[in-house]
Amino acid sequence: MADKLGILVSSNKHIDYVISLTTAATQKGKEVELFFTGKGVLLTQSPGFKKLVGKAKMTLCDVSFRALGLEGDVPGLGFKDFATQAKNADLIEESDRYVVL
Amino acid sequence: MKKVAVLIKDPEQQYEGLRSSLGMMLYNTWVQMFIVDKEIAHMDEAYQDNMEFLDEMEGERFSNNKTNVEKYGFKYASIEEIGEMLREADLVIPF
Amino acid sequence: MKILYILRTRPDGTVEKFMQTVTNGDRSQVAKLYEEQIDWSKLVDDIFEHDKVISWW
Repeated sequence: MADKLGILVSSNKHIDYVISLTTAATQKGKEVELFFTGKGVLLTQSPGFKKLVGKAKMTLCDVSFRALGLEGDVPGLGFKDFATQAKNADLIEESDRYVVL
Repeated sequence: MKKVAVLIKDPEQQYEGLRSSLGMMLYNTWVQMFIVDKEIAHMDEAYQDNMEFLDEMEGERFSNNKTNVEKYGFKYASIEEIGEMLREADLVIPF
Repeated sequence: MKILYILRTRPDGTVEKFMQTVTNGDRSQVAKLYEEQIDWSKLVDDIFEHDKVISWW
């Protein structure tokens, strides 16, 4: 089984880091999972966000999403991917390495 | 159970850091929360309630800011002492 | 223990002190994402080759 990299995205300042690290990790055969929380959910509105679709499993904190006035679909995310902080706890438990961007 | 240090330096992220700490604690993670340098910026009812909830769940909260210690019941820890606790943590999450 | 520090922005004095205390004589390496020319493939290798990874601000 591939090494799993968990990435917590809590900032809206570094979409380029998120894309670059996710792309490099998947190219090396790593499994990548992203959880967007707090201001990190704002990145779902970034034009670059679509570059992550298909590369990594992605979920986000629905409370943050709504609190920041966002609504509607997000590319690459289904209904169940609008999640709670429990998802972050799962990510911590399941990832071989965990980074924050 | 993983031991996670939540390290909060940005005053605008103080509430988010506390919310995230509680979220992890509810799902089998041991959390130590650290407010670094700054005083709690918005000690409203929601923050107070969540902080009490963290205490009830036996989470730990520390600060190197003496106002946070005296007014809001944080345990004092110097930067060096916080660093030592970060060393012992499985994960560090900065806010 | 081998520790990898990931810096998203230039570190201030507090972060420098934290890194010194956490390292405490162990082997550590720093990845400065705010500098240009990041080798992302090598960073992935580094993340998995180190025992502990800390992302700072």
